[in-house]
Amino acid sequence: MSLDTLKISPGFESYMPKEYVDLVERGPYGRDVKVSEMGTFKEIIEEHPMCAGCAMTLFIRTALIGLPAPEHTVILGTAGCGRLVLSQASIPFIYGNYGDTNGVASGLKRGLEIRFPNQTKDVVVMAGDGGLADIGFSCVMHSWFRKEKFTTVMLDNEVYGNTGGQESGMTNKGMVLKMAPFGKKFEKMDMIGLAKTAGVAYIARLAPTNPTRIANVIRKAVLIAREVGPTYVQAYTSCNIEYAIPTPKVMDDAREVEKDRYGFMEIISDEAKAYLERIEQEKKAKAKAVAASKAGA
Amino acid sequence: MTTATSSPRYQVLPGPEGLLPPSAAAMGVVLPQDGEGLVEGVIVPEAATYKAIAKAMLTRRNPTIFPGPLVVWGWTKHTQEKASVVLELAAEIPGVKIIPMPDYRPIYPKIDPEAVINPCHPNLTIWHNKIEACIFVGVHCHFASVTLKMVRAGTNCYTVALCAEAGHEDAMASLPHCDIEKLQRVTEALRQAKKEGLVPWALTPAGKRELAAEAEQKRKQRKAIATSAPTFAHELVAGLDENEE
Amino acid sequence: MAEGLETEVKTNPQGDVITATEAPKVQAKENKAAKQRVVTPEHLFFEAPRTKTFITGSEAAKEAIRRANVDIAISYPITPQSETMQQVGYLYAEGYLKDYYRGEEEYGVMSAIAGASRAGVRALTATAGPGLMRGMEVITSWPGGRMPLLLLVMCRVINAPLAIQPDNVELSYLLNSGVLLFHGENQQDFFDFPLKAYMIAEKCEVTLPAAVAVDGFFVTHARGWVELPPDDIKLPPRDCYHEAVPMMDNENPPARLSRDAPIQKSNFISYQMHASWQQEIWAAQDRARPWIKKYMGGLIEVVNPGAETMIVASGSAVSQSREAVRQAGEKGDTIGLVKIRSLRPFPTQELIEACRHAKRIIVPEFNCIGWLAKEVRSALYGQTKAEIVPGPRVFGGMSMPTELILEYLYKTPNEARLTTKPLVL
Repeated sequence: MSLDTLKISPGFESYMPKEYVDLVERGPYGRDVKVSEMGTFKEIIEEHPMCAGCAMTLFIRTALIGLPAPEHTVILGTAGCGRLVLSQASIPFIYGNYGDTNGVASGLKRGLEIRFPNQTKDVVVMAGDGGLADIGFSCVMHSWFRKEKFTTVMLDNEVYGNTGGQESGMTNKGMVLKMAPFGKKFEKMDMIGLAKTAGVAYIARLAPTNPTRIANVIRKAVLIAREVGPTYVQAYTSCNIEYAIPTPKVMDDAREVEKDRYGFMEIISDEAKAYLERIEQEKKAKAKAVAASKAGA
Repeated sequence: MTTATSSPRYQVLPGPEGLLPPSAAAMGVVLPQDGEGLVEGVIVPEAATYKAIAKAMLTRRNPTIFPGPLVVWGWTKHTQEKASVVLELAAEIPGVKIIPMPDYRPIYPKIDPEAVINPCHPNLTIWHNKIEACIFVGVHCHFASVTLKMVRAGTNCYTVALCAEAGHEDAMASLPHCDIEKLQRVTEALRQAKKEGLVPWALTPAGKRELAAEAEQKRKQRKAIATSAPTFAHELVAGLDENEE
Repeated sequence: MAEGLETEVKTNPQGDVITATEAPKVQAKENKAAKQRVVTPEHLFFEAPRTKTFITGSEAAKEAIRRANVDIAISYPITPQSETMQQVGYLYAEGYLKDYYRGEEEYGVMSAIAGASRAGVRALTATAGPGLMRGMEVITSWPGGRMPLLLLVMCRVINAPLAIQPDNVELSYLLNSGVLLFHGENQQDFFDFPLKAYMIAEKCEVTLPAAVAVDGFFVTHARGWVELPPDDIKLPPRDCYHEAVPMMDNENPPARLSRDAPIQKSNFISYQMHASWQQEIWAAQDRARPWIKKYMGGLIEVVNPGAETMIVASGSAVSQSREAVRQAGEKGDTIGLVKIRSLRPFPTQELIEACRHAKRIIVPEFNCIGWLAKEVRSALYGQTKAEIVPGPRVFGGMSMPTELILEYLYKTPNEARLTTKPLVL
């Protein structure tokens, strides 16, 4: 059904702005698109009002390519830079209250399951470190404890970027930022460890250095959330403004931080692993069958 | 929120009404029932509503149809059918423009007012195109209401809401439960008005001059685009300023 | 408790009943929930035969939810609300709801309900006093999000000092939230109002959240006569594609949908959009009026219209006032009573009409600040010459003796102060 909403009414094609026509004709809906194909299809996000050189924008843009079914996905965000770009995406976006994402996502996902028992609807939270680890902490942790079936993606820029550079729980110890005039007094919160404790089915940590990896991680996280349980992706998405990273050096910084303390890491439950293997096998079998039927024909 | 008792009846007329006029509902304007319509804040028989709509759309400057998501996206057979009926209706209005409202997200950072209308800043489109009569059709009620209030506040546009649900107090003319049949009656009213001798604005000397000038302007623009290939097809109008917090 | 849920009663060493047991196995022997049939709201409200039962307010709410075709309920305990949402949990176990869970706390619950409402299902939650305050950030965002859903409020004291007793000061915080707010007098209202609230809230031109409040304990834990329609009928399901905003389900246009526009930039255009949006919430409140009249019999009920002395009240204060009116009647005095059913939208016109002949109006309330008296005064400003007496008032869990109302009927507050004696029970 969903793809039917992306059909222009006959006769109105010539009145629709070009970007919508492109979305219909060349969008990533109902098919697999790869990072390597960027430039050949209409992306879910193109225009946005983010700062020049923003690593978060690069991450989000690539992450959206990884969504297995964008036509059946709803994204939730909260106050912060991320929602500036997400609200421009060609995917329904919910912008709720401060730190409510995982509460809203719980109700939304359950509501969608009631209404569409035969159609998987993917729910993805994409919010900042402040939104998830500070103000949204209770909702995040409890959604994990309850094993709510959706994905949480933390855009970790280690600072409150949108309000002008205040310390967050995910800021590194010692950093001097607004509201931390003598430097942050305690360690960066271990959200990965907390996710593990809460029994999150798939946990990944990464920096935006490898676009294909970003897309793959998101794809895995969303697929596992469908069947197995909550998934969590924590991505380093530096704030080049508040951390004064020169625009051309943003990727250098990402590589450095990755090497130093933000290396790629995946924690996957046995059940999730088995599920991924199963869908890979099914995919291969299906491809084989298609090839066989073609050869037969 | 509350209704004054003894004040005179509130009229819903083309603006500009002022900085922030009250919503018509707050001033005691109520929605019509089936068989009725709402014209300038007053409940009138359905037939009178068709006449008012036809008159406004045929006589006022730069008549425009703003089809919303529930018309432009052909998600059901019904929508597709409705869309073709809307086009039939448009065909009865000489010089009509069709500018869609494909969705409701705030368009950053600039909009092309000749290509779209957006509920976050509808007046940019109305001012730019000098629209003095328009029909909203297929817009979800919340966004239609939000838009209609802003249009009444800031422009002299006569707004018509052909609403599939209960109608809109802030439109100058509104039909409730406006299904395909009622849309066709609007089309019929347009035909009838012309038959009775109403000269559409586009066919008046002033209308002809304005439309010819506009066509010439567009021709020049197209030529300029062909030679310089700018990023955007038309002159852009500032939407929300993304640099201010 | 539901039949299938009954277990052997166990006690702890102190003799308290242990309620934590293994999850009961609901037997599918008779699936009454699946056999319910959908009827029109008019049939359920006005035509279906009713049977009189003697039940608590919490049980009345449960019976309403049983017939409300609710999809999902999300609960969180707080006295005196817990009882009701526990009962709703039993309904879930019996198959009347499709989903139910206990949330983390009220902020999370109010958020989750908002998510469910955006998904297009009929959603329910309930809270009381401090819980309402905790959820308030989210609650005040529901109307702007145009989310029809139902919140039951069992009023209690707001801390501090901590207390669980009835006091409805919390409703003053809801008055300006944009939520439709109905205040039930008794157990019967707590059955009728939730059902009607859903039907009003889900009308396209309304599309707003609704709250049905009652005063805690007086209504929730006390028994009263309630006339119930049969339990094999229920309301029609939510028709989410005929509402003021699109659903966040990827099944309706527009495909590129940001319904909750982040219009927080600093320029006139975004101010104007936000201003118009807020006006639209209150316009939608006004559009609820005809439906409140149709389904609830009016925003107010008037007893003894035309009386020179009128009592204007809502909630439990109405019950006490009815008794005061009866006692005054025995003395040969005709006292009028206006019961306010709908606090939002507020019955300004109706009140002006009902108080046209009044020379004296008293406003008894179960809270310290007298929010209803302020509402009444502001509605009647310039419309009446009557003396408006803001009281009597009790709060902090106190009950309101009818003697107190009677004294206020006949005396100024100052005179009443001189004669009212402490009650000896």
